Amino acid sequence: MIFKIAWRNIYRNKKRSLITITSVFAALFLIILMRALQFGFYDKLIETVVESYAGYVEIHADGFWDNQSLDNSMQVDQQLLDDIQSVEGVENIVQRLQTFSLISVGEKTKGGVINGINLSEEQKITDWNKKMVSGSFDLSDNEIIIAKGIAEFFGISENDTLILYGQGYRGMMAAGKYPIKGVIDLKNPDLNKIGLFMTMESVRNYVSSDEISTHIIIGKEKYYDEDKIVENLGLILSDDYEVMTWKETLPEIEQTITADSAGGLIMAFILYVIVVFGMFGTVLMMTEERKYEFGVLISIGMSRIRLFGIILVETIILSMAGVLLAIIVTYPICIYYNINPIDMAILMGDGAEQMMEEMGFSPVAPMSTSWDIPLSHSLVIFIFSLLISIYPAIKISKLNPVKSMKV
Amino acid sequence: MIETKKLIKIYNPGKFEVKAVNDVSTVFAEGEFTAVVGPSGSGKTTFLNCVGGLDTPSSGDVIISDEKITKFSGAEIIKYRLNNIGFVFQAYNLIPVLSAKENIEMIMLLQGANEKSRKTRTDELLNQVGLYEMRNRRPSQLSGGQQQRVAVARALASKPKFILADEPTANLDTSSTSNLLNIMNKLNENEKITFIFSTHDQRVIDRARRVVTLEDGKIVNDIKK
Ligand SMILES: Nc1ncnc2c1ncn2[C@@H]1O[C@H](COP(=O)(O)OP(=O)(O)OP(=O)(O)O)[C@@H](O)[C@H]1O
Ligand SMILES: [Mg+2]
Repeated sequence: MIFKIAWRNIYRNKKRSLITITSVFAALFLIILMRALQFGFYDKLIETVVESYAGYVEIHADGFWDNQSLDNSMQVDQQLLDDIQSVEGVENIVQRLQTFSLISVGEKTKGGVINGINLSEEQKITDWNKKMVSGSFDLSDNEIIIAKGIAEFFGISENDTLILYGQGYRGMMAAGKYPIKGVIDLKNPDLNKIGLFMTMESVRNYVSSDEISTHIIIGKEKYYDEDKIVENLGLILSDDYEVMTWKETLPEIEQTITADSAGGLIMAFILYVIVVFGMFGTVLMMTEERKYEFGVLISIGMSRIRLFGIILVETIILSMAGVLLAIIVTYPICIYYNINPIDMAILMGDGAEQMMEEMGFSPVAPMSTSWDIPLSHSLVIFIFSLLISIYPAIKISKLNPVKSMKV
Repeated sequence: MIETKKLIKIYNPGKFEVKAVNDVSTVFAEGEFTAVVGPSGSGKTTFLNCVGGLDTPSSGDVIISDEKITKFSGAEIIKYRLNNIGFVFQAYNLIPVLSAKENIEMIMLLQGANEKSRKTRTDELLNQVGLYEMRNRRPSQLSGGQQQRVAVARALASKPKFILADEPTANLDTSSTSNLLNIMNKLNENEKITFIFSTHDQRVIDRARRVVTLEDGKIVNDIKK
């Protein structure tokens, strides 16, 4: 009965109900599309950056991140790998052995970071094989791939040779001479100045240890929350390991996204304020107009709580109709632009745009189709409608049936 | 039985105070058919509102079937009204978005009656007030007299012992008035429902079996025919 009265009242004031629903719809429509664009872009950004080097989640020996030396490396056995692989959300895992080294060609010397990688496994996580400028990614033992910046610095390329020397495991000297298999563009100016790649075996040889690794890089199932993976890993890993997400290993990206996202939230907030005032106006009129009716209902024995129930149901129907409509309309749009990505350079802040250029990242990103966006904003509207209902609740609790029925 | 004891209602206590009901002590026995009359402003509405627990008296008590309803809390009195007292007001007292049938049925819904008994009773009441054919009309599609008959049916829905009606015929023409009175009379005689109604209308006064006259909030005359 409450529902019936509420519904008929909404229907009776068709025009006003429509205006209210439309305003909720319009605001939510804009908010959802805006956020879907932003989050789609962020996902692309994260994917591009993370998948080009870091991985969503990394495991190191405890203390490695703060002191990146081989003394903080780890010995990974099959049991550990199996355990990690069995964690929910983990799709691929790959080990790396990373170490600093000096590069020398002729008279010139500079620093670099050698990455010992497992070729076949690595291709499941990173896309290095697609970033070769010259030569091929198909490394054999004792061959090396160098990043673009290093090639430019030394003026060397495929089939030239370079010398590496530095410190090996446990203070051993490390040195070697390696022919260049190819040049890679890592799409990141910093990485391009230092990146070197060899097979895992070659690097282990170089540092004189045949079993250590420095990184276990984890590729996650799409849309699986990396923080959840960290949580799950925490349950099976001892204190000897540290687990980090890209948010910690690449804090600049997280910061860029947070700053850019804040702009969107401010925009959403402004729209919310408009909607809330519109809805409040409707509820205000609804309450004032029907004081007489409320008086009658109380007189004939309807409790104030039920009466409030009617108003609450009306408010929620109005707001949720707008919400539902917005979701129904925006979702196909999100899906469409998810399949047909759009150029979003215009929508991004300066910081993000600059960053994109440096990353060699094209701002053509698919829209996010994550349900989190419409659901979270619907929830906000729902909570606002509950808050707005406080006004009629107070009015009804104070309503004097005798006074309200005086015409 | 309804008893009022030294019932007083003062509006605007202090400087411009109005003693709308001034020390009224009386008894309405079961089965009575009483008209409360008096000039405009004499306190009829205020008196009925206090008796029905819609308004709180400044002092004095209202006792209905041994229960002091003036001591009830706000929620208690609403519940008491739902189950014991039927109200009919001067006008516009139906829920506009509900049909005649639903307006009547709502009371029983509030009481928690099951669907079958609701339907039976609603149909019975609609027949009693002669509106069965119009049961699906909204109030706006009914005449004033028809609306008032729905209001009486609604007041009866909860099977109350008492019906309080404040100028139920004020907006009705002669034939609607006598029609409504016939219905009220029949209910009074057949089902022993106690009616207390205020009125200005001589035709209505003539049909009452007891006439209580108020002036300045006091009973100045009380005639049983
Ligand atoms: N809310 C109020 N505040 C102050 N005075 C009031 C209020 N309601 C009624 N009164 C006064 O109380 C007195 C009784 O009013 P009441 O409405 O009970 O009279 P009534 O007999 O029903 O009149 P009528 O025949 O015109 O309906 C009047 O003098 C009126 O002015
Ligand atoms: Mg009156």
